Amino acid sequence: MMNEKPTWRSTAKALLYLLPMLVITITFNIWPILSSFLMSFYTKYDYYTDKVSAMGLDNFKFLLSDPDFHLAVRNTLIFVAGVVPITVILSLVIAILLNQIKWLSGFFRTVYFLPFVTSTVAIAMVWNWIYHSDYGLMNYFLGLFGIHAINWLNDPHWSLLALIIMTVWKDLGFNIILFLVGLNNIDPGYYRAAEIDGANAWQRFLNVTVPMISPITFLVSVNGIIGSFKVFDQIFALFGGTPGPGKADLTIVYYLYQKFYTEYKYPIAAASGVVLFFLILAVTLVQMWYSRKHVHY
Amino acid sequence: MKKKSWVKALLAVFTVSLAAGLTACGNSSSSTKSSGPVKITFWHGMNGPYAKALNSIISDYNKSQSKYKVVGTAQGDYTALQQKIMAGAKSHKLPTISQTTYTTVPDYVKNGFIEPFDNYIKKSDLSDIYPAFLSSSKYQGKYYSMPFSKSVRIMYYNPTLLKKYNMSVPTSWEEVQKDAAQVKADGIYGISFDKSFDMELEGLAKQNGNKLVSTDLTPNLNSKKTLEATHFIWDMVQNKEAKTAGEDVYGDRTFTSSKALFYVGSSAGISSMKQYAPKGFTWETMALPTYKGNKATELAGNDIVMFKDASASEKKGGADFIKFLLSKKETIKWSEKTGYVPLTKSAVKDSGYQAFLDKNPADKAAVNSLDFGFQSTAFIGFSEYRTDLLSAVDAMLTKNETPEKAMGNLQTQTKKIIKDNNNK
Repeated sequence: MMNEKPTWRSTAKALLYLLPMLVITITFNIWPILSSFLMSFYTKYDYYTDKVSAMGLDNFKFLLSDPDFHLAVRNTLIFVAGVVPITVILSLVIAILLNQIKWLSGFFRTVYFLPFVTSTVAIAMVWNWIYHSDYGLMNYFLGLFGIHAINWLNDPHWSLLALIIMTVWKDLGFNIILFLVGLNNIDPGYYRAAEIDGANAWQRFLNVTVPMISPITFLVSVNGIIGSFKVFDQIFALFGGTPGPGKADLTIVYYLYQKFYTEYKYPIAAASGVVLFFLILAVTLVQMWYSRKHVHY
Repeated sequence: MKKKSWVKALLAVFTVSLAAGLTACGNSSSSTKSSGPVKITFWHGMNGPYAKALNSIISDYNKSQSKYKVVGTAQGDYTALQQKIMAGAKSHKLPTISQTTYTTVPDYVKNGFIEPFDNYIKKSDLSDIYPAFLSSSKYQGKYYSMPFSKSVRIMYYNPTLLKKYNMSVPTSWEEVQKDAAQVKADGIYGISFDKSFDMELEGLAKQNGNKLVSTDLTPNLNSKKTLEATHFIWDMVQNKEAKTAGEDVYGDRTFTSSKALFYVGSSAGISSMKQYAPKGFTWETMALPTYKGNKATELAGNDIVMFKDASASEKKGGADFIKFLLSKKETIKWSEKTGYVPLTKSAVKDSGYQAFLDKNPADKAAVNSLDFGFQSTAFIGFSEYRTDLLSAVDAMLTKNETPEKAMGNLQTQTKKIIKDNNNK
């Protein structure tokens, strides 16, 4: 079968096999993307009758001059820059430690994986309590080290960090599992060869582990960046349907949500989605370019 | 072998298209019906005990007559309900009637979603309803919404603490402020607010002589009167004489742990206060105090609107059901079970309801407030204005922006919202 030459017949057959998924993807992914691209250019638009009376670049001009959108972009970038590196490094370290211990490793794997399968709303409710300024666990813990109580959820200076910490904790489990898979796939022969050559543990890590799991690191970071750019549900749940104190946790998707659902400015919401699309595209392209040089398959 | 896989593939395609076809059919077939009672669909945002009370009223209605059958659907909370209405309007699958806040009415009218009740409910049927509720029902001279789940802001107080400090129950905000200054030294707040004090600000501004947005759509957000009212609250918070709830969202936590003399909250919170207040903790309620000698309290809650897409007989049935909800017996039942206020004067005067109040004195404060209740001015873009209002209050609390700056910004934003939406 595999060696058959492609013919019209076989191509048609392949298309037929692809069709069901293609129909679903086009209806629920491709078409909405195209229509939101179009919608971002509508300047006079009735959402309910789909009547477009004027088109232009006004929505993008609005975003350029809207201080809230600038704030949203800034917060999103800080969030991505905070969450992704910490998640990648921390989950790699934990994965390596888990890989070392044989005893109870299954138990720990389950424990770390639990946040991933728990609903975001439930997680946010627990963290809401952990962060509570008067009787939260976090401030109690900091108090043990003589650090003053921090008003995590009400102080604009701290609330974005609060969100980052919660997200890192939530994302760890899945990434640890991915890293564990990567670590287990490394041929022990490499380590033995390195040992014979006199490499110490750190050198083995740097010259065997890091290059060998680079495809996983790449996957985890691309996935993490895309996911973090789209952050929304954690904010909504942690701050009770607000973008944090003093809009300190207003991100691009939260901005989009507000424009769409509370301000009924549909084309502007679409335009902010388009900006987000290109932001993610740009960052991902940079990553792809970087991966060509540094990722070893 | 090859033939078989072809057949399989064709079957798969067939199944997918059938499924797609079925879902499309499923939505359009409901409109064709021949006999039996007319189905009235009713979307609402009630949950828990509120939904239970509503369902029992719906089933009462369905049993009371055979022409119509009301089917209520809970759509989650108010936010989710708004989103469902938006999606329903886009796909032309709106119900006959739905609960919604009166402030969405101008937007709904602009987009042509809703039908006024003028042709379905006689003016004489409305005369019994408290005027404050009706004032928000009217938009551009027509009755577009009917009051339903309504609450007012009331003040809860801690009689034990008042007694300890030898204070009498205050009648004015000025007294409240004096009391607050007195207990501050003991680490007790005079007053506990919810996360945002926007409703109290709106009330004080009204008491001081202007609405935040007046009926002729002039924003008064940084007028002298509004700024004075804002400072009244904000200064107390800055002086630690008052506390906003922050992450607790509702201020009852500070109040029930005896860390505040007073708590301003919704009358709909009475039932949860009864349920969750610690044992041995005593609390009582009163109508909001006067400010500069004036009484006013903001009414909150939801109305019911009727959608244009419904057929004539469905609309008739929807209106008939709403009349049923407004009837003396049902509005009393609704009020007793949920803590929302009764909507008509005759219901409040009813001897049965008065006996209920004697047994539940905490519910009196809300009823006593009805005569001086008021509602915000609704306009197209209100939802955006409200988001900005909440941001302004938040900025004063979390970023320590001065009322002059925060309310000044809000004034500019609001002017723009009103102008951009061609309200005038």
